[in-house]
Amino acid sequence: MDTTNHFNHAYSQAPWRIQRQWVSVFLLIVLGFGMIATLYLMVTSQAAIVGREIQDLRLEIIQIEHANADLQTEFARLTSKDEVERRAYSLGFRPVKPEEIEYIYVPGYVAPKGAMLAAAPELQPSAPSIPPEYTQSLLDWLDERLQTPSRGLR
Amino acid sequence: MRQQYAWRSLLLNVFLALIAALVVLQMVRIQVSAEAGAFRDQADDFKGGYRTYYPERGEIFDRNGHLLAGNQTVYEVGVDLTTVIDPHSVAMAVSVNLGKDYEEVYSNILNPPPGISYLVVDNFASPEAVAYLKELKKELNESENPTPSLAGLEFSLRLERSYPEGALASNVLGFVNFEDRGYFGIEEKYNDLLAGNPVKVWVPNDPNRAVEIPHVPNGTSLILTINRDLQDAVEEILDQSLYEYGAQHGAIIVMNPQNGEILAMAATPRMDLNNFENYGVIFSNASEYNRAIGMPFETGSVMKIFTMAAALDTGLVNPNTTYLDTGEVQVGGVTIKNWDQQAWGMQNMVGCLQNSLNVCMARLAVQLGPQNFYGYLNRFGFGHLTGIDTSGEAAGRVKVPGDADWYPVDLGTNSFGQGLTATPLQVMTAASAVANQGHMVTPHTLYAMLRDGHQFNVPPQYAGSPIRAETAATLNEMLAVSLENAESEALVPGYRIAGKTGTAQIPTPLGFYDFSQTNASFVGWGPVDDPQFMIYVWLERPTTSIWGSHTAAPVFSEVAQKTVILLDIPPDAVRLQMPAR
Repeated sequence: MDTTNHFNHAYSQAPWRIQRQWVSVFLLIVLGFGMIATLYLMVTSQAAIVGREIQDLRLEIIQIEHANADLQTEFARLTSKDEVERRAYSLGFRPVKPEEIEYIYVPGYVAPKGAMLAAAPELQPSAPSIPPEYTQSLLDWLDERLQTPSRGLR
Repeated sequence: MRQQYAWRSLLLNVFLALIAALVVLQMVRIQVSAEAGAFRDQADDFKGGYRTYYPERGEIFDRNGHLLAGNQTVYEVGVDLTTVIDPHSVAMAVSVNLGKDYEEVYSNILNPPPGISYLVVDNFASPEAVAYLKELKKELNESENPTPSLAGLEFSLRLERSYPEGALASNVLGFVNFEDRGYFGIEEKYNDLLAGNPVKVWVPNDPNRAVEIPHVPNGTSLILTINRDLQDAVEEILDQSLYEYGAQHGAIIVMNPQNGEILAMAATPRMDLNNFENYGVIFSNASEYNRAIGMPFETGSVMKIFTMAAALDTGLVNPNTTYLDTGEVQVGGVTIKNWDQQAWGMQNMVGCLQNSLNVCMARLAVQLGPQNFYGYLNRFGFGHLTGIDTSGEAAGRVKVPGDADWYPVDLGTNSFGQGLTATPLQVMTAASAVANQGHMVTPHTLYAMLRDGHQFNVPPQYAGSPIRAETAATLNEMLAVSLENAESEALVPGYRIAGKTGTAQIPTPLGFYDFSQTNASFVGWGPVDDPQFMIYVWLERPTTSIWGSHTAAPVFSEVAQKTVILLDIPPDAVRLQMPAR
């Protein structure tokens, strides 16, 4: 029995076994660092790629905005008063004379007052007319009381 | 043997540790060395740089959505001093293609101001010139020789103001200079709104910090009350009238008297806003830029409207009140006579307006008394700015008792529009009270603002009620009848019009009036029962006739005929047959 115990003790204390444990721990640490480094590299590289894409898209947005402005101005030039008048004359049109105009009454028609180039602003909801006592939950009420401790719970 | 290995191992370990320590020491030494600071500064240049982000200037539209002022692409050309290889080639290319001074560019590249790594060479290079430079730079890059080289020459997009309609409404719009600042008209008045807020920030090159690049919101776009087609027609009529009547200059305004919207405002001279650098050639002073609002003058008999309004409103007279016109009246010791130096006999108040009798008006002003008379002029807004939202407005001058240069005779002459000054817009604003049941409108050119994808319409504002509604209705009718009785050249076939002519002598620098030179004007509105347009015509120094009734009045009629077509206003006979709206 003693011999068996002595052998087990000698086996567990063997230098090569202790070294192997240390190497394993070291390799585990290296592996851990390696995994973290790989993960970090992947995340940062992906972030850098996305960041670069954002920079490119921002540049593209600016270029598109400029192109839009150019096209809008060009369109305005092509539909300017002088240009439209020139084309109308070349197509054989001429200014109307007052006596040639016939006015027709269209029931329900309301002439537009001016351009509507964008949506009207959304109406802001008016202040609630019902007192909070009738609308807030018990939790809201408790939260409000706790936010104002000087008044305490009443 | 084992001990010998141990010693060798120990020595090797010590040696390697020593080398590692030396490496660490060297790293620390480099980090804290004097050169390290220079390297760090050099590295900072590549980390990013300060950039100014200019928001896109807001656009300006007419009331029907036609673009009056937009933007177009130009390039900023600069030199990145950190990457320049051949300063001579860069300076030469910029000099030849962009018209810049070679010596100046070359010396700036060689000796830049301290702390500058990017040098702006041209702010407004055309896309064509930049395309050529880009192609040249590419070709030189691909060649095997290191020089010549355009390395370091950089191009960045930006926008400049563009006016697709050229000179149309130039007096109203104003212009934007090379520094993106608005001058005159709408561009100056709403410069802050249109320009937005430029943002100067440090922009990192590190893509991980891309989110730090700010988003700069564009400037607010504006929709004006101006009707482009009417504006064009009015400008054409004005130019033709100056030629036809031999006038030096002129102005015409078309306004909606019910809400103060300016539908057209034409004045001379005008200039192509895309070539605003000609400003100094065309205009000799700022007040000439828009004489419809910036150049007060003695308006003459159109002021009789307001003298009569005061007399009616106080109950001093009614349309049937009569008086015996003897052709002259004494006011403040000075004799005032009618325009034709004649006596007109028994006249009622309609005849007084119809025949534009100075004596009648002077008598009314004297009977009203200075306090009443000038009180009414004050309430009608004379001597004050109308508050129009366009830059360059002048207030005119009304002398009142107590002023050093006011004399009792002024009460008489002021009653028929001499001795006081007003702008065409002031007269229209005051007249809007007569056309609009006693309520005076505030003239404005802004219809709506466009911001953040929403349109915010601007509500009309009123500038008080100087007279009662009954007075306005009575005077409206009197003015309409007086035009009809006189068979005025201002009448518009099919439409009932109210209005008044004005012929004012022009004072010379010596203080006397030149009887051969006049300001001819006409203010009128219609249809009388539901006024939808008000027109003021001013012709400066007409030569074919000095009288407003023969020059400004027919011009008014022509503008009114164009206005009713373009605004779809049916003739009275048609309109009154329509069911009630």
